[in-house]
Amino acid sequence: MLSNVAPSVFNGLILGAFYAFVAIGLSLIMNLTGTINLAHGSFLTLAGYLAFTLVSKGTSFWFALILAPLLTVVVGVVIERLLIVPLYKRDPIFSLLLTFGLSLIAEEVYRLIWGPNGVPFSAPGILGGGISLGFMQFPTLRLFIAVVLAAAMVLLALFLWRTRFGLRLRAAIQDTEMISAMGTNIQVLYMVNFALGMALAGLAGVLASGLLGLSPTMGNALLMPAFVVAIIGGMGSLFGSIVGGLLVGLAISVTTLFIPAANEVIMYILMAVVLLIRPRGLFGTEGLFG
Amino acid sequence: MSESLLAVEKLNTFYGKSHILHDVSLSVDKGELVALLGLNGAGKTTTMRSVLGLTRPRSGTVHFEGRDITGWPSYRVSRLGVGYVPEGRRMFNELTVTENLQIAETGRGGAWTIERVFQRLPKLQELRARKSGRLSGGEQEMLSIARALVANPTLMLVDEPSQGLAPLIVEEVYKILAEMKAQGTSILLVEQNALLALKVADRAYVMDEGRIVYSGVAADLERDRNMIRTLMGLQEVAS
Repeated sequence: MLSNVAPSVFNGLILGAFYAFVAIGLSLIMNLTGTINLAHGSFLTLAGYLAFTLVSKGTSFWFALILAPLLTVVVGVVIERLLIVPLYKRDPIFSLLLTFGLSLIAEEVYRLIWGPNGVPFSAPGILGGGISLGFMQFPTLRLFIAVVLAAAMVLLALFLWRTRFGLRLRAAIQDTEMISAMGTNIQVLYMVNFALGMALAGLAGVLASGLLGLSPTMGNALLMPAFVVAIIGGMGSLFGSIVGGLLVGLAISVTTLFIPAANEVIMYILMAVVLLIRPRGLFGTEGLFG
Repeated sequence: MSESLLAVEKLNTFYGKSHILHDVSLSVDKGELVALLGLNGAGKTTTMRSVLGLTRPRSGTVHFEGRDITGWPSYRVSRLGVGYVPEGRRMFNELTVTENLQIAETGRGGAWTIERVFQRLPKLQELRARKSGRLSGGEQEMLSIARALVANPTLMLVDEPSQGLAPLIVEEVYKILAEMKAQGTSILLVEQNALLALKVADRAYVMDEGRIVYSGVAADLERDRNMIRTLMGLQEVAS
């Protein structure tokens, strides 16, 4: 029994970490600007393909793991500055429609460049083996992914709670007008915040490629669970997104083991239950980043 | 024109199609405390917002220390040394008292530091780790003023500091304003409670329906019974 369930639990937690990562990126952007970035998954996919291309041109995986997210940040910030910024002051429906359109365009562009089917993108040999945990073999790649995602989340938390810039960001989420009347250029905050979201998406994209399979729809497939995770955790709560992500990942993989047919609906059931008990989500507060 | 610290000339500001400010002109000299009085909806807050760059005026000019700052974004106006204590306090509710103050620090230097604010307002020091959203209204007003103080502004724009506060706390707030003035900070004070503001002000302007309808020395206005009655809302609004 244990040998059956344990791998599912671990795999579920890692899947959940990806959901959490995407959810946090979405929340960062939504909290500050009110933009629901439906193109978030497309940026994630872009990073995967960029890493794939870099590696196939001879770059090392490790270098691609850094460079692809950075390139994604550049592309993301250019799009934000040119297309999304003019919509910040409008009704959120405008940016929602824009980013939805962008995600459709991106998916087609990826199909044109990299083909409609998945491309093989595997991690270097050193991550290929497994580590024995006694009762099971645990793939090194998954362990590596777990460590990188966890480290990135710790860094993000330190940035938000231990730097002046993070402090400004948390204040601006509550009142952008006051923070600019106190001497902060709000446009710089918007840009850095969006870049942060892109960096998270980019990192997740490269890591997910080896695990979920790199295809034009890889990122978008993570988007819906990520929204569910954000809602379960409590919109805007960093900690909530992490807990929500792990819960959903766990629920999906364990359900797959016992009732495979229900593995897609389980997260919605979980969401419904959480919302019945706590309408603001597990860690949702009135303010954000509570 | 004498060299005013703040000189507002013929400002016209709109919200959408509604014309809010009509040729508003006023000035604040160095070290002066100027009251901007008027009933609710007279355009006092809009005047402040126009000075600060939070609402862009359609015409007219704003000069600060001789420099034309009309239409500048608010963060640049703020960096010149213009502090803002907004109506309703506008705390960053989820941040602690200390964090609210840290945000306001500019590194520009000056008499006020967080340490010094805590010395002057020991109550805030006691509450320093508390989220500002959980303070009482009076404590929030103190923090709002303290937040402006630690930026060591040359000019402070203070909007309705007595609103909704108990008399004892109002007294404390006004004591701090008087201290700041004594230390040479210039203050533009918007207040509905005219008598209160006139006690500390050097000069005063009265606004009605987006226009400046009176300007003069505070002591003179204080003696103008009819105007005071109107301002204090004891009589029908004189049109």
